[in-house]
Amino acid sequence: MSELLWDVVGVFNWVVLVYFVLLNGVYLATSIFAFGALKRYSLRLRSLDLTDLITSAGAPPISLIAPAYNEEVTCVESVRSLLTIEYPDYEILVVNDGSTDRTVERLTEAFEFEPATRIPTAALATAGVNRVLRSRTHPSLWLIDKENGGKADALNAGLNYCYTPFFCAMDADSILEPQALIRIVRPFLEDASTVAAGGILRIANGCTVERGRIVEVALPNNLLAQFQVLEYLRVFLAGRMGWAALDATLIISGAFGMFRRSSVVDVGGYATDTVGEDMELIVRLHRHGYENGTPHRIHFVPDPVAWTECPESLGVLARQRDRWQRGLFQSLTRHKRMLLNPKYGRVGLLAFPYFFFLEMLGPVIELGGYLSFTATIIAGRADWVVVAAFLAVAIIFGGVLSLSAVALEELSFRRYPRLADLLKLFVLAGLENFGFRQMNAWWRVKGTVSAVRGIQGWGKMTRKGFEVQTDEEAA
Amino acid sequence: MPDFLLRDPESISATGLLVLIALILVLFVCTLVLSAYAVVMRSFHRARAKQTSELTDQWRDPVLSAVADPTLVPSVQSLVSDDDGVQFVDLVIEYVRRVRGEERVILRDLVKPFLPQVAERIHARSTERRAWAVQTLGTLGLPEYAAQVVAALDDSSPLVAMVAARALSREETPEYAGEVLARLDRFEGWNRLFLAAMLAAMGPAVSKQLRDALADENGSPWTRAVMADALRLQGDFLAGDIAAAIVGVAEDRDLLASSLRLLSAVGRPEHAAVVRPHCASADAVVKAQALRALGPLGGDQDIPLLVEAMGDPSPWPSLYAARSARDAGGKDVLMRLVASEHPSAALAEQVLAEENSL
Repeated sequence: MSELLWDVVGVFNWVVLVYFVLLNGVYLATSIFAFGALKRYSLRLRSLDLTDLITSAGAPPISLIAPAYNEEVTCVESVRSLLTIEYPDYEILVVNDGSTDRTVERLTEAFEFEPATRIPTAALATAGVNRVLRSRTHPSLWLIDKENGGKADALNAGLNYCYTPFFCAMDADSILEPQALIRIVRPFLEDASTVAAGGILRIANGCTVERGRIVEVALPNNLLAQFQVLEYLRVFLAGRMGWAALDATLIISGAFGMFRRSSVVDVGGYATDTVGEDMELIVRLHRHGYENGTPHRIHFVPDPVAWTECPESLGVLARQRDRWQRGLFQSLTRHKRMLLNPKYGRVGLLAFPYFFFLEMLGPVIELGGYLSFTATIIAGRADWVVVAAFLAVAIIFGGVLSLSAVALEELSFRRYPRLADLLKLFVLAGLENFGFRQMNAWWRVKGTVSAVRGIQGWGKMTRKGFEVQTDEEAA
Repeated sequence: MPDFLLRDPESISATGLLVLIALILVLFVCTLVLSAYAVVMRSFHRARAKQTSELTDQWRDPVLSAVADPTLVPSVQSLVSDDDGVQFVDLVIEYVRRVRGEERVILRDLVKPFLPQVAERIHARSTERRAWAVQTLGTLGLPEYAAQVVAALDDSSPLVAMVAARALSREETPEYAGEVLARLDRFEGWNRLFLAAMLAAMGPAVSKQLRDALADENGSPWTRAVMADALRLQGDFLAGDIAAAIVGVAEDRDLLASSLRLLSAVGRPEHAAVVRPHCASADAVVKAQALRALGPLGGDQDIPLLVEAMGDPSPWPSLYAARSARDAGGKDVLMRLVASEHPSAALAEQVLAEENSL
C-alpha cells in the first residue's frame, strides 16, 4: 500500500479517536446528568399524590391513538391492556392501517365493533378512511379502518378523529402500565408550554402478561433480546433522562409519547415521507417553536412505562436498526439548518450536533475504525501496546456506561426483581462489546447508505406475541 | 500528524503509557464501583422494603383499630419509636387519602407527635424533600402547621409552591383560599384548567371569592379566565351575570372564551343576547365557545343560525353548533338533515347518536 494511503488511514484513525472520545464523553455527561435528575425524580414522586391527580377534575381528556398494521397476534391483548388504564377520561382510537391479516376481525370479535359516525376535527391528508367503528361493549373504544399508508399516515388519521386536547401516540403492540397516562400527563398540567412528553420503553420479552398487564418482569432467555434490555436501559435512563435534564430532548419514541393535539396539527401532523416520523415530529415542533417564538417544552418522564416486544432474530433486528438509522438521517438532514444554529437554543447547539455527528455519522466512523485499525494491525504497522490499550479503554468504557445505566435502574425503578437478572445485566454489559455493538454499527451503516439512496419502507417485522398467562395459570 | 497506532518507539512515551494504564485502571475501578453500587442499592432498597413491610404489618391493625376506637390513639402512638416516626407518617398518609370526616381527624391525631420531624424538613436544601414535607404537613398538619404551608407558597421552587397550593386547596380548608388566590399569578405557567379544577375543589365556600376575582376589572385577564373556569366547574349559577357582563365587553381571547364556557354551564336564556354577536367572531375559538353556549341559552329562533354554523369550515365551531342545535330543541331539523343530502348530514347524525349513547 502506498504511503499516501497509510497517511489517509492515519488521519482516519485520529478521526476515530476523536469520535470515540466525544461519543463516550457525551454518554458519560448524560449519565451524570441523568443520575442527578433521576435521584431528584425519585424523591419528587414522594411529594405527589397520584390518586389525587387521578380523581382530580382537572385531569384533561386524552385520546390514545394506536396504529395497527398486521398485529393479529398482539392487538387484542394490547387493546385489553389499554382498557385497564387508570385515568378518568380517555378514549382509544385504534387505527387499522390496511392490515392484510386478521387484525380487524380479531378486534371485532373481541370488542364487538359496529359502524358509527365520527366527524373529523382536522384535515391532515391521509390515505382513505373506509369506515369508523365503535365498540358496543366499550363505548370509548373506536376503530378507524383505513387504507394502508404507513404508521405516520395512520397517526394522522387518528389525529383527524381526535376530539381531546391531548393525545398519546403509541404502537398497538405495546402494553401501557395502568398509571402510565396519569404519570405522563403531569408535565402538561404543571407547565402550560409543554407540547410533548415521552415515557420510557421497556422490553416485554421474558415478562408474563395477564389480562393485558405485565404481572412478572424478568429478563428474556434470548441473548439478542437481553442485549436490547440493557440497551434500552442505557438509551432511556442514561441518554434521554440526561438530555431531558439539559432541556434538549430531541426524540420521543413513537411507541409511547403524549402530545398537545393543537400543536401537532399546527405543524401539519406527522411527516409521511420518513420512516422516523417520531423524531422528525419532535425536531419540527422544536423548530416551529423557536422560529415563531412560541414557548414550547418537550419533556421526558422516566416512570410512565410502555412495554414492547423486541426482535429476537438477527434479520428482524437488522431491519429495525436499518429503519431507525434511516429515520434519524431523514429527520436530521431535513432540518439541517438547525445544526449549530444558536437561533434554536440548546437543541441547535447541543442535541442536534450530537445526533448529527455522533449518532448519524458515528456508525460510519466506528465501522471505518474497525477496518482501518484492523488494516493497520494486519500490516504490522501498529504498536500493540497502543492497540491493546485503546481496545481495553473502549471495552471497559462501554462496560462503564452500561453499568451506569444498570446502576440508574437500581437507583430509581428496580423493575427486574431477581438478583440473577441483575447479575446477568452485569455480564451483558461486558459481553455486548463483542459482537452486538459491531453488528449494530454495521446495521446502522447500512441504514445510512439506504437513507442516502433514498430507500423508504419499514421492512417486514414479525411478532411473536406476549407470553400470556391464562386465567387458570394465574390461579 | 503521525498515526497514533503506529509502531514507533517514540509514538508513546513512558508517561503516555502510564496515563493509559492509569485510565484503564480508573475505568476498571469504575466498573467495580458501579457494579457494587447497583448491588448495594438493591440490598439497601430490599432491606428498606422489608423493614417498611414489617413495620406496616406491625402498625396496620392497631391503626385501623384506633380509627374504629379513638381511645386507642395513645397506645398506638406508643408503638412507634421516634426513629420510625417519619415512616409511620408515610404509612398513615396513605390511609388519610382514602378516608374523610371523623376518620381523617383520628388519623391526623395519630401522627401529631411525629409531625415536628416532618416540619424540620420544610427547610431542607433539597427541593424534593421540602415538597414532601409541605405535602405531608398540608395533608396531616393543618391548621397547626398552616403558617409553614402558607409560607411555602412563596418558596423559591415552583414545585414546592405548587405542592403547597394543592395542599391548601381542599374543600375542608376553604379558609386558605385567600392565600392561594393572592398568589395565583405565581402559577401562570400551569395548565389553566388544572389550576381552575384545583380552586373549584375548595367547594362553594370559596365561590364568592372566585366571583369577586372574576368581576375585578383590575385583575389580569389570565386570573379572571381561571376564575371563570373554576366557577364553571363548580356550577356556580350566581356567576352567570358576571360572565355575561364580561362577554359584553371583554377583548382578551382567553377571558372571553372562558366566560362563554361559563355561560354555557350556568347562564340563563336572557344571556343569549350577549352571546349571539360572538357566533360570528373571526376567532374560531371564541366562535366555537359562543356557538356552544347558544345551545343551552338559546331557543328555536337560534336554530337557523346554528344549522348554518354547522357548515363552518373550522371543525370545532361546526361541531359545537350541531350539538347546540340539538340542545336548543332542533332535533327534528337535524333528523331532516340526516335524511337529506345536506353537507352536514353526517355531523347531524353524529350529534344525534352522541345523545343516544349518553
